[in-house]
Amino acid sequence: MILGVAASLVAHNPRIDWFGIAPEGTLVATAVAVLLLDLVMPRRDSWQTSRLASVGVLVSLGFVVALYERHGGTTPMFGGAYVVDNYAIALKGFFLVVAYVTILLAVDYIGEGDYYQGEFYFLLLTSVLGMTVMTSARDLITIFVALETISIPTYVLAGYRKHDRRSNEAALKYYLIGAISSAFMLYGMSLIYGVTNSTLLSDISDKVGQTGHGKVLAVAIFLSLIGFAFKVSAVPFHWWAPDTYEGAPTPVTAFLSVASKAGGFVAMLNIIFFGFSNRSNVWWVVAWLLAILSMTLGNLTALRQTNIVRMLAYSSIAQGGFMLVPFAAYGIARDHGHLSVAQTSFQAVVIYLLIYGAMNLGAFGCVIAVARRTRSADIEGYGGLFTTSPALTVCLSMFLASLTGIPPLAGWFAKFVMFRSAIDAGGWAGTSLAIVAGVNSVIAAYYYLNVVRTMWFKAPATEAGPVQVPSALGFSIALCTVLVLAIGVYPQLVGHIGDLAAKAASVATGS
Amino acid sequence: MTTFHAPPLAASVMTEYYRQYLAVAVFVGAALVMVGAMLGVGALLRPKRPQPEKYITYESGSDPFGTFGQQNVRYYVYALLFVIFDVETVFVFPWAVNADHSGLGWFGFGEIAVFVLILVAGLGYLWRKGLLSWA
Repeated sequence: MILGVAASLVAHNPRIDWFGIAPEGTLVATAVAVLLLDLVMPRRDSWQTSRLASVGVLVSLGFVVALYERHGGTTPMFGGAYVVDNYAIALKGFFLVVAYVTILLAVDYIGEGDYYQGEFYFLLLTSVLGMTVMTSARDLITIFVALETISIPTYVLAGYRKHDRRSNEAALKYYLIGAISSAFMLYGMSLIYGVTNSTLLSDISDKVGQTGHGKVLAVAIFLSLIGFAFKVSAVPFHWWAPDTYEGAPTPVTAFLSVASKAGGFVAMLNIIFFGFSNRSNVWWVVAWLLAILSMTLGNLTALRQTNIVRMLAYSSIAQGGFMLVPFAAYGIARDHGHLSVAQTSFQAVVIYLLIYGAMNLGAFGCVIAVARRTRSADIEGYGGLFTTSPALTVCLSMFLASLTGIPPLAGWFAKFVMFRSAIDAGGWAGTSLAIVAGVNSVIAAYYYLNVVRTMWFKAPATEAGPVQVPSALGFSIALCTVLVLAIGVYPQLVGHIGDLAAKAASVATGS
Repeated sequence: MTTFHAPPLAASVMTEYYRQYLAVAVFVGAALVMVGAMLGVGALLRPKRPQPEKYITYESGSDPFGTFGQQNVRYYVYALLFVIFDVETVFVFPWAVNADHSGLGWFGFGEIAVFVLILVAGLGYLWRKGLLSWA
């Protein structure tokens, strides 16, 4: 029987748009080349693998730009399971830029410690490959495979400090949580397949729109959302995140909190907007609860942290809550029959992701730089940083202010589109979301700006010289700074990308 | 004009769906009967001459020592390798069976070659790192 299925699958030659999958192909080739290069290189030259990895990522990024210039519109492949539209292209670009910055953040950290270098970049590239595939995935199986391709290398990366118990704990917790969330998700997906007889999101969307199967579909959608909630560390499925973030090597933490989380959100975008739109009455409540809990608990717990990595971990949980707001807003609006909100909420998620990536990576870059001198991540250790390293202090203050949402930094625009989607949704549910988000932005300001105050006004805890910032790390921080400033002053930069993405998405959902 | 109400998917599709499990139930029953019959008939027919040697764990001919031993952690590499090449078989086998009449031709060959070459790169990695030799 299995052979029969296989025969029917390969019965016709698939038409493949080779140009469309060139970015992914480049990543695969680079990953394998990095692994093999590391084998033939003598140990002292293995830092060269980072160079090869970053060139590969840039070539892949070049293909993404070329794809955008092609104006080809959507190209469905494999029976519609894989689509390269403007939305996918925009997010592919985002993930590749994040990968490039992560390599820059990691190169000195990994090079100076006693780490395997080639494997690090190999695992990183494999995870990024999963992300670029995820942006195009319009099929449950493709989404699942992409999500596992994202996750499995990051379990190993989280445990990269092999001789550190906390790193081992981080990896183990992350791995177990990953397995649990996959189990939830697969159970939900199997029920969806059982009801709709299809794994294609477009078919699922049609079938889900018909009446019947209310209870089965509710359970199915609920379970898949729980799976994603684990992946994006939404409260109450968040408790693994702070331990994992603290124990993992800091560049990996930056990657986890930005890229891996964004991967989960892209999966959610695909499955909710392209698959479950017609059952918004089931999932908006879940998204609404997750958003409110994540924002509130993430922020309240972040207030009490004395370690900056743990603080950023809780803050990223809260930021995840802000990103969940447009999902809930979309569901609420759909229930009231305003389909136009679909565009603004889709846009809001994409824009929030892009901006959050720039500012959070920048903040982690500064934390890595400071940890080079102090060897710790205590917020107390940031006292008097302004007197010793003024440039770094200004950059970190900017990233934290941007995370707070203060204009004219990029963060305010992210918050603005998020609030707009909640207010457009209207009703008691939309309004309450906007109010909770507003209160939480104020709470967040306290702990972000507390670090800024420590850096500028507290006396230094120890007598220490200025922080030595290696050029790669400095360049990545500068890149994030420029992005945060440019987007804040000229928000059309990402607004345009958000428009493109939302237009591509509305073609797909037909709303 | 009468309006036609399509029956909800549930009624027809779901009973058909559950009926397919009947085959599973038959298989489970058949398996139980067969295993029971084989062991039962064997127990009735075979001669019984108990010797202590017969109750020793079979270890491919060598005498077992101790009661419970830890597995050497190095076995995990072989377990991993086995899984990798097991999965490879799952993908290569359907392709090989259909290679001549699937119409995939050189395209299919190229695809499977890329897949196998990536696995070979992994094997080369293990080899070079010395995981294949019992150190």
